[in-house]
Amino acid sequence: METAFPWLTILTLLPLVAALPIPLLPDQDGKTVRWYALGVGLVEFALLAWTCLTQYDGHESGFQLVESYPWIPQIGLNWSLGMDGISMPLVMLTGLVTTLAIAAAWNVTKRPRLFFFLILAMYSAQVGVFLAKDLLLFFFMWELELVPVYLLIAIWGGAKRRYAATKFILYTALGSLFILVAALAMAFYGNHYTFDMDELAMKNFPLALELLLYAGFAIAFAVKLPVFPFHTWLPDAHGESPTPVSMLLAGILLKMAGYGLIRMNIEMLPNAHIYFAPILAILGVVNIVYGALNAFAQRNLKRRIAYSSISHMGFVLLGIAAFTDLGISGAVLQMVSHGLIAAAMFFLVGVTYDRTHTLAMDDMGGLAQQMPRTFALFVAASMASLALPGMSGFVGELTVFLGFSSSDVYSPAFRATVTVLAAAGVVLSAVYLLSMLREIFYGAQSEKLAGVEWSDLKPRELVISLCLLAPIVAIGVYPKLATQAYDTKVVEVATRVRNNFPVVARTQNSRFYAAVLNAPKLADATATGAAAEVAID
Amino acid sequence: MIDLLLKTSWLVPCYGLFGGLATLPWSTRAITRTGPRPAAYLNLMMTCLGFLHGAFAFRSLWGQPAQSLTVPWLNVGELHLSLILELSPVSLGALELVSGLSIIAQVFALGYMEKDWALARFFGFMGVFEAAIGGLALSDSLLLSYGLLELLTLSTYLLVGFWYAQPLAVTAARDAFLTKRVGDILLLMGMVALSNLAGSLDFTDLARWAPTAHLPMWQATLLGLALLAGPVGKCAQFPLHLWLDEAMEGPNPASIMRNSVVVACGAYVLVKLEPVLSMSPVVQGVAIALGTMTAIGASLVAIAQVDLKRALSHTTSAYLGLVFVAVGLHQSDVALLLLLTHALSKSTMFLGVGGVIATTTCQDVRELGGLWSRMPATTTAFLVGAAGTVGLLPLGMFWAMYRWMVEPTVPRWTLLLLLAVNFLTALNFTRVFALVFGGVPQPKTRRAPEVPWPMAVPMVSMTVVTLLVPLMLERWQLLLSRVTTVTEGVLMLDVPLMVALVMSGAAGVALGAWCYLRRGAVRPVRLPIAAVQDLLSYDFYIDRIYRLTVAAGVGAIAQITAWIDRYVVDGLVNAVGVAAIFGGEGLKYSTTGQLQAYVLVFLLGVSGFVAIATLSRGVMPF
Repeated sequence: METAFPWLTILTLLPLVAALPIPLLPDQDGKTVRWYALGVGLVEFALLAWTCLTQYDGHESGFQLVESYPWIPQIGLNWSLGMDGISMPLVMLTGLVTTLAIAAAWNVTKRPRLFFFLILAMYSAQVGVFLAKDLLLFFFMWELELVPVYLLIAIWGGAKRRYAATKFILYTALGSLFILVAALAMAFYGNHYTFDMDELAMKNFPLALELLLYAGFAIAFAVKLPVFPFHTWLPDAHGESPTPVSMLLAGILLKMAGYGLIRMNIEMLPNAHIYFAPILAILGVVNIVYGALNAFAQRNLKRRIAYSSISHMGFVLLGIAAFTDLGISGAVLQMVSHGLIAAAMFFLVGVTYDRTHTLAMDDMGGLAQQMPRTFALFVAASMASLALPGMSGFVGELTVFLGFSSSDVYSPAFRATVTVLAAAGVVLSAVYLLSMLREIFYGAQSEKLAGVEWSDLKPRELVISLCLLAPIVAIGVYPKLATQAYDTKVVEVATRVRNNFPVVARTQNSRFYAAVLNAPKLADATATGAAAEVAID
Repeated sequence: MIDLLLKTSWLVPCYGLFGGLATLPWSTRAITRTGPRPAAYLNLMMTCLGFLHGAFAFRSLWGQPAQSLTVPWLNVGELHLSLILELSPVSLGALELVSGLSIIAQVFALGYMEKDWALARFFGFMGVFEAAIGGLALSDSLLLSYGLLELLTLSTYLLVGFWYAQPLAVTAARDAFLTKRVGDILLLMGMVALSNLAGSLDFTDLARWAPTAHLPMWQATLLGLALLAGPVGKCAQFPLHLWLDEAMEGPNPASIMRNSVVVACGAYVLVKLEPVLSMSPVVQGVAIALGTMTAIGASLVAIAQVDLKRALSHTTSAYLGLVFVAVGLHQSDVALLLLLTHALSKSTMFLGVGGVIATTTCQDVRELGGLWSRMPATTTAFLVGAAGTVGLLPLGMFWAMYRWMVEPTVPRWTLLLLLAVNFLTALNFTRVFALVFGGVPQPKTRRAPEVPWPMAVPMVSMTVVTLLVPLMLERWQLLLSRVTTVTEGVLMLDVPLMVALVMSGAAGVALGAWCYLRRGAVRPVRLPIAAVQDLLSYDFYIDRIYRLTVAAGVGAIAQITAWIDRYVVDGLVNAVGVAAIFGGEGLKYSTTGQLQAYVLVFLLGVSGFVAIATLSRGVMPF
């Protein structure tokens, strides 16, 4: 299915190519560069939206707009791009959040050329990760995006920026090695050497190898998502990075891991998924509760929201582990929704930090009197984050809850325990967010803020926040806006993974799985169902 | 035309929302030249439009079968969730009640909040508040009701925290949100379970499904308890009752709504869920037990309060406890009747209270007194509201309670509960009346004028409405059951019960008058045992218990996890880093350049490996 016009290549390369002339721009104090970068971001976002709205068909489940050109044929690397229901919403999210992050970086005065160059390079890499249809190209894009983040934290970060940046790069680079190893193993297996995702998904690996491959991908993505216990880079990275980078980190980079889990682990390795899914579910719940408890204990504003990200990404894991179309749909929706909400939260934190120059909640208090508009938007973002109905967070978490609790793969006791614990996490999210609002905004003004020059939200900041909040409310009020983009795809993924279930379920005999899964009963039921279908045919 | 109005009556709650949104230019100070008043008028106008629209729809629907309206909301795979509205006389009647009370509260707020700089913001919140309550009245799907209950939680949070620089308002807003949230999330769990079990979240479908579903008892019980938790939080029932007391820190016009229709919302959902709850007798038992505990406990606590608004808000909890008992006993009609009469009379009382607070800027009953001659309209409103809330013969609550007492299936102890609550409430109201309106003027009340007209008009109108409640009940035959006919369409007259009910109230009034109004009464009255008085006035110390257990527990666990995260999980990572550095630094001294040493290490390594491989033969694969 070759399209005449290379939409996706243009989308992927435009920001990077546009970033190249930045060093040559005549620019005295960084004002031209920022307008230039914003213009590129807007054009890219407009193109993205145009492509997704007019060229993409939500009723098809396979890759669309596929393009494939040999790049380095000696190693089998193809420049091969495609868009499907899982990547489309995330690409849109990337476009929106990155463009807004450029607008949020308006006041960067330190080396603005390099800053905007890196952000635009990152833009390309992010779009590339979501659109890559070649596993090696995916790895390439994945690595390409690490370098700008490292530099952005290491140069423009807070006091402990070196430590945070090094930790970030070590963690994620080590993690991504696993992607490379697994990709090579998959490509070399069998008599057909390929990196194409569709073809890889068609290969039948022996179970032992499939489990190893799954584990490799899972570790890489667990670092990025992040999953307990690989999460400790995230609070440091978030806490130290400048506002736009925090927005990108929380808004998009974490989603790459969720995307990878669905794309590689579920779609390509469905047999191993059955073995790992209960573990993912348990880790998901641990993430939710552990992240929420840690968030409550943080006294630094950015760290608190960073831990809340860990908590919310647990829902993505839970949805992925659910084995139902609802669960996977919830995972995608939760990714989109958290991308918007986390970006909004970090942006508003940045807005307050610009005024107060502190992130310590002990030093803040009574900001509402000076910054009522910021206060109002902060409340709105917090409500979205604590899953208030009418906001996208609620729809995402509700769908995950429904998807997981209706999953007949797990035993009822396991389902009930997981759901109740996750619900406890939701209550905790209200606890830490409301206590945060109370300490920062309510009450009398803190004495430690005596010398602050106050100013409420500027128009630019207002527009950025509203651009993030508007889709949050729109999806919350009418979720079909988002779900129609990937509904077909999700159903297809869930069907495929469930078809494999009976085969594998029969062979497993461990006590852990017997306690957690409903397997034997379900396998028998499906087998009789299949037999009945055969008889009818 | 009328038909069109009926078809579009789902819009009625939206009027409030639009009104709330229309106030944005003023509340965000985009328009400052006009002052905030146009926002208030705009919102008020929208509410009036909604009221009129609803009134036409109500009239044209009267006597017709209920209609329903479905909006598909979320379709994923097999799951189809819809938002469903039911247009029936009951739901439209409830909607009218909400809109009407909202108009009253808003006109009152014009006077009460006159000097507040954030008037526009207040009216914006009221618009959202009204939209959520109105939507709840129409909603026929648990999903929509849940969403609206959460929206109510939000509006409570915003309205209670309206004066966000006041320390008490801040904690009150937070506590209200968290308490309700706990109930809401449990309700959400129940909803998720119900969606899997019943396959639908419409109240109509659920009512049809529940009797035919044969769930295991434990499942039905857990499900019912989870569903019960939401209304428990919303109706301020034990153990999630503390928020209502604290919420009295908010502006009074919102308190009018909160004590009348907002708490009723939870009970309304409870009534709709009654078929599901009645699947398990344990759940009914819990509903009755919680209701009884709250009814008695809150009535007692109310008597010991010195804050004017809190003394009344606790009785709200108590009456909602009665509603819980009624639902637990399958008497949904009685429950709705109690809600209606309570909402009307309690809002009248709160209008009076608002008048007192607005003119004296004081809500401590010990510092008030002698207002009856200075504020006659306010006094009348308070008196009529109080009379309508307790079972005084011709007024509303008497008939509601009496209607319950003559229900054939009502157990004996319920009669006693009713009489006790009635007695305690009458005692409390007499006490408050005596302290605030009776006696000699105090420094703060000496120069109190009567309220200005924006407050007086709603006050007097509600006084009249409260007086007319028995007529409304009679006219619309609300005293007759829709389910079980009480002796063929005629309300039985059971004189002993009537006398008992009236006497319980009269006894309360008499005791209250003897304590507070007799000549030479000592104010404030001290109970003989101070500990008992403290116990009641501090609300059985429940807030302290929560602070020491739940709040402290969560905080401690959070601290412990943070410690683990920092020193164990992250510590391990950093330890690996440090080990790598030290290892590298250490190893650099081993590069001596002596060939013999290298060969020795090499040989030792190989022989060690061979030894391991030989010894573990059979265990290891090679």
